[in-house]
Amino acid sequence: MAGTSGEVVVCGVRHHGPGSARSVVTVLEAVQPVHVVVEGPPELDGLVGWVDDPDLVPPVAALVYRPDRPARASFYPMASFSPEWQALRWARANDVPVSFADLPAVNALADAYRSEAGPQAEDDTAAAPLDPIRLLAITAGYDDPERWWEDAVEHRHTAAEGFAAIREAIAAMREGHGDDDHTLRREAAMRRVLRAVVREADGPVAVVCGAYHAPVLHPDGWPTIAADTQALKGLRRQKVAVTWTPWTAGRLARGSGYGAGVSSPGWYAHCHATPDDERTQRWMVAVARALRAADLPAPTASAIEAARLADTLAALRGRPQAGLAECTDAALAVLCGGRPEPLQVIHDEVVVGHHLGAVPSAVPQVPLAKDLEAAARSARLQRSAEAKVIVCDLRTPAGLAKSVLLHRLDLLGVAWGRPADAGGTIGTFKEGWTVQWVPELAVQVIEASTWGATVEQAATARVADVAVSAERLVDVVRLLERGLPADLPVATGALVGEVDRRAATSHDTRSLMAACEPLAQLCRYGDVRAFDTSRLREVLDRIIRRVAAGLRVAVAGLDEETAASVRTGIDGTAAAVRLLDDPALTGLWLDALGRLADAPLVPPTITGRVVRLLLDQGRVEVEEAGRRLSRALSPAAPAQDSAAWVDGFLEGDATLLLLDRALLEMVDGWVAGVDGAVFEDLLPLLRRTFSRWSAAERGQLGQRLRHGHRADRTERPWDPVAAGPAVAHVRALLGVPG
Amino acid sequence: MSAATPAPQRAHAEDADAAELDALAAADDRPRPPSWRLSPWAVATYILGGTLPDGTEVVPKYIGRRRLVEVAIATLATDRALLLLGVPGTAKTWLSEHLAAAISGTSTRIVQGTAGTPEEAIRYGWNYASLLAHGPSADAMVPSPVMRAMQEGSICRVEELTRIPADVQDALITILSEKAMPVPELDTEVQAVAGFSVIATANDRDKGVNDLSAALRRRFNTVVLPLPDSVEEEVDIVAARVASLGASLALPAELEARSEIRRVVTIFRELREGQTLDGRASVKQPSSTLSTAEAISVMTGGLSLAAHFGDGRVSAADVAGGLRGAVVKDPVADGVVWTEYLDTVVRDREGWADLYTACRELS
Repeated sequence: MAGTSGEVVVCGVRHHGPGSARSVVTVLEAVQPVHVVVEGPPELDGLVGWVDDPDLVPPVAALVYRPDRPARASFYPMASFSPEWQALRWARANDVPVSFADLPAVNALADAYRSEAGPQAEDDTAAAPLDPIRLLAITAGYDDPERWWEDAVEHRHTAAEGFAAIREAIAAMREGHGDDDHTLRREAAMRRVLRAVVREADGPVAVVCGAYHAPVLHPDGWPTIAADTQALKGLRRQKVAVTWTPWTAGRLARGSGYGAGVSSPGWYAHCHATPDDERTQRWMVAVARALRAADLPAPTASAIEAARLADTLAALRGRPQAGLAECTDAALAVLCGGRPEPLQVIHDEVVVGHHLGAVPSAVPQVPLAKDLEAAARSARLQRSAEAKVIVCDLRTPAGLAKSVLLHRLDLLGVAWGRPADAGGTIGTFKEGWTVQWVPELAVQVIEASTWGATVEQAATARVADVAVSAERLVDVVRLLERGLPADLPVATGALVGEVDRRAATSHDTRSLMAACEPLAQLCRYGDVRAFDTSRLREVLDRIIRRVAAGLRVAVAGLDEETAASVRTGIDGTAAAVRLLDDPALTGLWLDALGRLADAPLVPPTITGRVVRLLLDQGRVEVEEAGRRLSRALSPAAPAQDSAAWVDGFLEGDATLLLLDRALLEMVDGWVAGVDGAVFEDLLPLLRRTFSRWSAAERGQLGQRLRHGHRADRTERPWDPVAAGPAVAHVRALLGVPG
Repeated sequence: MSAATPAPQRAHAEDADAAELDALAAADDRPRPPSWRLSPWAVATYILGGTLPDGTEVVPKYIGRRRLVEVAIATLATDRALLLLGVPGTAKTWLSEHLAAAISGTSTRIVQGTAGTPEEAIRYGWNYASLLAHGPSADAMVPSPVMRAMQEGSICRVEELTRIPADVQDALITILSEKAMPVPELDTEVQAVAGFSVIATANDRDKGVNDLSAALRRRFNTVVLPLPDSVEEEVDIVAARVASLGASLALPAELEARSEIRRVVTIFRELREGQTLDGRASVKQPSSTLSTAEAISVMTGGLSLAAHFGDGRVSAADVAGGLRGAVVKDPVADGVVWTEYLDTVVRDREGWADLYTACRELS
């Protein structure tokens, strides 16, 4: 039943719906249109020629972007099971011309458009419901819109009747629903293309568009030409470019361009590629293979049983064929033994899948790839397939440029370079990288291109996104550490703000303590990287003040493990305070520590640590520390507590014990005096305490303990004459006039 | 019923729900698998509840996720064995009894798994007097519930499968894969009539009791029964079960409102999940399981107290003792948890003052 001239067949589809795709092909075959119109900006017309290139393998996305500001871009992803893709393929195979119809990207991506159409115009379909077919399906009591399509459209109607019914349903849905200007303008633009096509065509015309637009694209629903022209008047224009980019199955789940994402691209591709009567069996085979690849048991017999169960379940639920829900339930019961972990493997590997599209090499590149090429050229970074170690000298512009670029790529997940040893120098002016360009990086660049069109923009956007979703304060700080050398002023500003915001709302002193030391390090880095650290410094000041205030509460009633982590936190904060070297802050911090040292109910390992910190900072005299040590080691204290106290107190270098004989004797006396049975219990902790020191320090200590006391007592007095040359030399080194 | 046969303390599902099952069978025009009393659809309706075309109201037996029950029924319809897993008190046994009652009309073919369950309980034993007197013969054989179920084509239930020693468990492998049980002594075998299947229940809290061998596990489809998803669902379950238990115990007391149940369920859920329902505060978790089944027994206990010693209305004082007993399994550690929970959460909660006072008086 080929259609007649002047007839317009409107196929309102679900983007990425395999059911819609099947119906579209059926309709196209039946109607044999002389022209196919597909939803999408008319600029995409130039891409149609690639569709039958064997190297263009879906999933791919048609990309429209502004060459001057590539960040303004729209993606139109297509999988093999997308109705748009099927329509394009059909048209190319049958030599039928194709036109895209939508608001031209030259208008939609223009600067002025956004402010005119309001912020929503950022996403092309933000105003219209993203997935009207889903709404219909949910209304009908279905959880999966594709199943609804199968049951309600394919099994009950011919494809053409189905589309007519959808159109009516959507028309009813849209009644009384006020659409925003952007949607109305898009539809006027679609009709403008459609009118031109119909005028020229000497046969039926087929339209493939999102179901939401179907009612107004059918000639019955056309308003006057004048009204449409009015709607499109006065739009500004901006030059745009188009290209194909490879897409991944995982990203099909993300809404962009065509809006609606699909959550199970792997399943849809499977439905599209396999005949109906083999769908369940082949799916279970794929599931079993994925499980086996993950080293999980999945015998063939179980795959067969799972397929049987899925079919029986479908029958029980009154469905003509097993869908994804039945297959998942069956796989969970038979292949996964009811456990959720293998099910996750199935979801990642099979239901979503890792399909990666490809585009012919002749296709123009994505903007991010272009920008990366330019940036690499100016930083003199060459692509080599072989792994090479390069050292960037951050004092030279070229070295800094290389470092910045590699850091930005690292933030973007494009692993061109990995940090490497800079070759013995400990200075902060040099940075080592292992660089290697592997083909997968091209894909990572494409992946990253959804974040932005230049390396800087994309990295900034990515960092901001990660920062917001980061779970803990310290994660944001770590991100800041990575972001700072990437020279992203906007991103680092946002990160510092995020750190401040989180620190202000966090009641967890421990997480604040964990953030202190890295932040203090960053404050010092600022000089090398020409980054203004004043704001960060303010934030850090506030954090340290909060820590000092919350310290007493944070250490009360802790178990052993938490006490150890708090101790690490106190050490980190102390290190931060030392790094900042601000008298006011140091005073505040030491006061807080001092209060802690005398407080009851503090875990002994923390008290020991605090006393040591106070001693190192000169807040406590050696004699006082000795008294405290002796009190902690007195027989009344439980041996475990004493050991923990000593562990906290002795962390750091061994010089303290080596220099102060009184302290050493106290510790030695205590270790020797502990009861034999208790000693065995203490052994692991003591081992840990003393094994932290270097072999040389331990050797010296051992010697001193063996015959040190006597040797010390017979120590010869200083011989100024013998020491003279050495003292003079040290004076010269220090620049102290002799 | 005549005076000579007093009513059983608890009726089997197939007896208690005989009227519903009959109505379902009458209304059921869908294809039934061999030996099944009802179609899978009707079994699902029996378990999950619904209204029949003739107006009969079928009470839901299992309140929870529909898809789990559907998977369980479809498993049995494909003559696979079904393994119901879950922490104690997630209605595994309850579901298995009702499935067997609906599918086979009897829920009494049952093997109770214990550490001492012998192979005879799964295969067959001998009447030794007869064996000695007449030698091995079919008459001297004592078939197990499994063997009887095979002969009848009905469902056999195995309770607490993981408590059965591993070597005895493995006797099920041949039965489940070959659907036959050889009897070498008589040089014969018993072949399962179509419709035979096994529903096993196991508790996944007691890990490593006797884990199933891979070979046996593969012959089961596994359905994990979760704790109820929401407070409302759990309150529904407790209310329904307490009402039916109260009726069968002939307790005159009435549950005035669901508010008392809601409080008990709330306490159970908060202690189980380690945080308050509004997510504002975390609480310490006791060592007890705190399953829905225990919430039911706390409420039934409260009902009984109210009926016999109270004014017939369940009050905070009636449930306080049961609550403490359910939560505090380890007198020292759990006692601290319970007191802390009372003081930090219950005390400040609006309208809970009576419960706080009642619980505090006991501890």
